[in-house]
Amino acid sequence: MKITIDILQVLFLILGAPLVRGIIARMKARMQRRQGASVWRPYAELAKLFRKEDLVPPTSSAVFRLAPMLLFGATVCVAAFVPVVHASALLASGGDFFLLVYLLALGRFFLSLGALDGGSAFGGMGASREALVSSLAEAPFLLGLVAVAILASRADLAGIVAWTLQQSIFNISAVHVLAFASLAMVALAETGRMPVDNPTTHLELTMIHEGMVLEYSGPRLALIEWASAIKLHAMLALLIGLFVPWGMASGDSAWGIALALLLYCVKAGILMVLLSVIESAVAKMRMYLVPEFLGVASAVSALAVIFTMLAKR
Amino acid sequence: MDLVGIATGQILSSFSVFLFLTILLLAVARRISTAVLLFSLQSAVITAEVLATAFQEQLPEAYVVGVLVFVIKVVTIPRAFFLLADKLKTVRDVKASTTPTQSVFIAAAIIYLSYAAVHSYGQSMHVPDDALAAAVSLILTGAFLMVSRKKALMQMLGLLVLENGIFLAALITTFGMPLVIEIGVFFDILIGLLLMGIFTFRISDTFDHLDVSKLRRLRG
Repeated sequence: MKITIDILQVLFLILGAPLVRGIIARMKARMQRRQGASVWRPYAELAKLFRKEDLVPPTSSAVFRLAPMLLFGATVCVAAFVPVVHASALLASGGDFFLLVYLLALGRFFLSLGALDGGSAFGGMGASREALVSSLAEAPFLLGLVAVAILASRADLAGIVAWTLQQSIFNISAVHVLAFASLAMVALAETGRMPVDNPTTHLELTMIHEGMVLEYSGPRLALIEWASAIKLHAMLALLIGLFVPWGMASGDSAWGIALALLLYCVKAGILMVLLSVIESAVAKMRMYLVPEFLGVASAVSALAVIFTMLAKR
Repeated sequence: MDLVGIATGQILSSFSVFLFLTILLLAVARRISTAVLLFSLQSAVITAEVLATAFQEQLPEAYVVGVLVFVIKVVTIPRAFFLLADKLKTVRDVKASTTPTQSVFIAAAIIYLSYAAVHSYGQSMHVPDDALAAAVSLILTGAFLMVSRKKALMQMLGLLVLENGIFLAALITTFGMPLVIEIGVFFDILIGLLLMGIFTFRISDTFDHLDVSKLRRLRG
């Protein structure tokens, strides 16, 4: 039974990911007084791309062709680590949060390699920027997770979530607030959202993710887009699981699971509203300001780690 | 009634976290209007703290102080700042002499230092460490804002943040000063703000800018 829930949980993260994107795009459109496309459009786009012909640049090697599959595989593994409806996950005993961070890094690494291998100038530029952002985001990401892990004295995500579930919802500690602030900033950078990267742009000088996928088409592009949607959904679920997990099912009764799923959707909805407010209200930063942004995240997460020493609980 | 009690306990145990957050955000704020809003938010947290203390210690005077803090620091002073910034037609940037990252690291160091500094006091005076550390770090952050921001308006704001810290320290160590003294202090702040406002007007009239780092020569 537990295995079934775990598998359903991963499928929910993977299959629900395009919907998350669609909802955010729709919310953004409504906030900007536009009609906006249907929330199901990302699915239609993926279906369309999977049916299309796959064009590969003649100069590229096998790296270009393999990169999307490896990215997708790494991202699905990440999704299998994140608890959604109960304090466990499919690969919960298979590794700790370090593995999660570096699985994400592995995916980015292959995507950057693929972009370089594609041979276009924009691919190379996007890859170099991606490398900059990801190397700067790594420290705050790890430190933020370390702070929470020290509090829970566990290293596996499911264990941390289970520990947080036992705490009172009113006992917020400075560590949690600071770690949430830094991880939220990292999540924006990791998933290529607004202040760091504009997910809707095709303007040459500003794009990071879009620049990297410029040479891809057809099913491979679909895999990349799907993987980045899964990454966004998994980051949302990670933030929810680490900081507001209350309401997760403890047993395996169907009602408990359904209630947990409903609560998860409400929490995710609130986060998505926040995200679309940020994306509508904040202008994209110049590339040179991104290190500043992530430097602030690093400082906040370092402070969170320091505060674990002061926290008596 | 019980709900009020729970809320009071929560405010008393967690307000310092929010104060630390406002300190960190003040360190990264790029625009004067953001910094003023953060100051207003910070004062709102302190208002909640005053009211919670008043409820818990059964001090009727403290309610009056709480209302005064709200009226003066949350509403009046930020409005005055916006009015001033509007009249002066100044640039929005705070003109920091440190980058935001450096500022956050310095603010983090300040917070850590104040924890280390108040540790022994807190135990001998039976005051929670968090609250006292928040007060001391507010004082230090105010001073830091005053020395690291070049805009005259930001220096006024730094002074107000510093004053917030002193007020908070008085509140948590002695449950607030007598009402007459509090009113006197608030009056002082208002007059000080008025004077500083006039002064910044004179600076911008004479020099056409508010950058205090460029005030090197006397001009008549």
